[in-house]
Amino acid sequence: MATLAPSAAPATRGASERSPGVNTVETDSITRQVQETDEATNADLVVGILGEFDPDAVKMVCAGLRSLPGSPRIAVVQTDPSTNHCGANSTGPGGASLFFVPSPLAKTDTPGAASFSVASAYESVFAAGEKLGARACCVFASQIEGATPEWIARLVQPLLDGDADLVVPRYARHRLEGLLNSSLISPFARALYGKRIQNPMGPDLGISRRLLEPILGAEKKTHGGGVYSLASIAPAAVCAGFNVCEVHAGARVYPPTDWTNISSLIAAVLGPIFLEMERNAACWQRTRGSVAVPAIGEPVFLSSGAEKLDVARLVELFQLGNRELQEIWGLVLPPATLLELRKLLRLPAEQFHMEDAVWVRIVYDFALAHRLRTISRDHLLKSMTPLYLGWVASYAREVQNAGALAVDQRLERLALAYESAKPYLLSRWRWPDRFSP
Amino acid sequence: MGTQIKQALAQSTAKFLTRFAALLPGLAALIVAVLVSIIIAVVLAFITRRVLTSLEFEDHLERWGFASLADWSPMHSPTLLVSRSIGFLVILIGFLIGIAAFDARWTSALAQTVLAYIPNVVGAVLVLLVGGIVARFLGRSVLIGAVNMNLQYARLLSVGVKWLVLVLAVAMALDHLRIAPGIVELAFGILFGGIVLSLSLAVGLGSKDLVTKSLERDVKRSSPEVLEDPLRHL
Repeated sequence: MATLAPSAAPATRGASERSPGVNTVETDSITRQVQETDEATNADLVVGILGEFDPDAVKMVCAGLRSLPGSPRIAVVQTDPSTNHCGANSTGPGGASLFFVPSPLAKTDTPGAASFSVASAYESVFAAGEKLGARACCVFASQIEGATPEWIARLVQPLLDGDADLVVPRYARHRLEGLLNSSLISPFARALYGKRIQNPMGPDLGISRRLLEPILGAEKKTHGGGVYSLASIAPAAVCAGFNVCEVHAGARVYPPTDWTNISSLIAAVLGPIFLEMERNAACWQRTRGSVAVPAIGEPVFLSSGAEKLDVARLVELFQLGNRELQEIWGLVLPPATLLELRKLLRLPAEQFHMEDAVWVRIVYDFALAHRLRTISRDHLLKSMTPLYLGWVASYAREVQNAGALAVDQRLERLALAYESAKPYLLSRWRWPDRFSP
Repeated sequence: MGTQIKQALAQSTAKFLTRFAALLPGLAALIVAVLVSIIIAVVLAFITRRVLTSLEFEDHLERWGFASLADWSPMHSPTLLVSRSIGFLVILIGFLIGIAAFDARWTSALAQTVLAYIPNVVGAVLVLLVGGIVARFLGRSVLIGAVNMNLQYARLLSVGVKWLVLVLAVAMALDHLRIAPGIVELAFGILFGGIVLSLSLAVGLGSKDLVTKSLERDVKRSSPEVLEDPLRHL
């Protein structure tokens, strides 16, 4: 089984656990550094392999790239040229030629230089793609069970053929993994923008030049120097009518949960999402319902036994928040939701259940409060942690012994709850003072 | 004798009337100044009230964490408190202007002293305002952080931090007003130290069971069994 395994290098370790949108760098400085690299003049595809992957995984990615038909020129951005496991510049059987370019943000010997963040890694790949005039850029950033060269080719090929502008993976789902994505990011994006994308924020993804140009242009226009956020890619693609497709993949291997840092993680992920929501308000307010996006390959279903989970600990944390944070939540949530939460205070862990409708309204109310700056945004997002863990506890109790299909059905019900509560969001968004449920 | 008495009486009456007559323009000026200042105060207070109401000042105050200000305000309205404060300030200034019109040395000295003290009052109010904002912000930060760390005594920590900052701000404000600086310093030291000590005692002794529970939970979390936690968030 080939595996893409990010190394333990401090610069990139825990990439998927960090916020893709928090650490930012100036695009101008990246572009300037790219200009200094004169090793390549143009490429059809620019690929970034984030982190120091184990040799087999890198070879597998390179094998997948070399197998591409149509003689594309492929530039691989190297974050660490000293560990090149891909081999020398070469041409594959299909005519694809691989060559390597140094990362514009590669490690420097400068003392005190900024660490090589995930966001800056994406930016360096996209900046390299822009400079080399590539038709598309791809980033491989996560560990995937059972990844094969064919999977790599499936992710890249639609971009080179011009059939898709954004290609994102559809990972096989473990019932208790990727919960922030399953409970919030994915169904929230689906309800807002009307496309059923399982992983709108990647982290593995492919993006065409047609899509990249407006995204980078908008970033420069909005932020002056250009500040990049992963949360902006899928909304930009959907709102501008670009073609989005998914590629079925194996299960993604997630890093262990850092419980001491979970509230910072939530704040770091949700902040850019809520900002994008504000920026794209005109787009999502017109959207009703949702449609599936084309998927390539065959879905992978995982069979896993019952997992031991301490739901009581999650419920305890939720109840503590429910007791102590009422004063803060009272500024954000309407009385009806606060009443529902107070009812949950009386439930023991073995009967704990948070309705999807309540959770969805909470998410929408927090998004609105973020826009209105009801309280400090950092306080707002971090105070959401007990609520999120409450929903996780409720969900985990339900699916602890469920099969893959049942989990999919459960998450589909949640996504539908997001869609059916969208009129509530619209009303509160348009008339935050007048509309009081 | 009678004539002399009459003369003395007439002279003292004339002197009194002369002095009184000399005071009259000043008195009239004082009355006019106070009346004009009352009119200006009423108009300013009205405008302030309207502007603050249109800006939803009370809602903003609540969001900024000054909900308790309503308890100290007339009719539980911070808008009224601000508008009336502005009104009284204008009347006070009018009164001082009127007093200065007497052209007496002591009146101008009084006016000068009062006017020189105004910057201290403004500075103290600013210190209190900033202290209140910082106390509220830090209190919330500690509360949210402690709850997310599953500390059962989160509220206690939050309130302790909030009062520490408030006590510091009040001591600074009183020092700025030059009100019994020696006593303020002493009282501040006692209060500040007392809060820190009581927090330590409360957390260390009073909340012993809670702390033990929290620490036990932390130990359990780092045990191999809990490290196998199947939850993955992002």
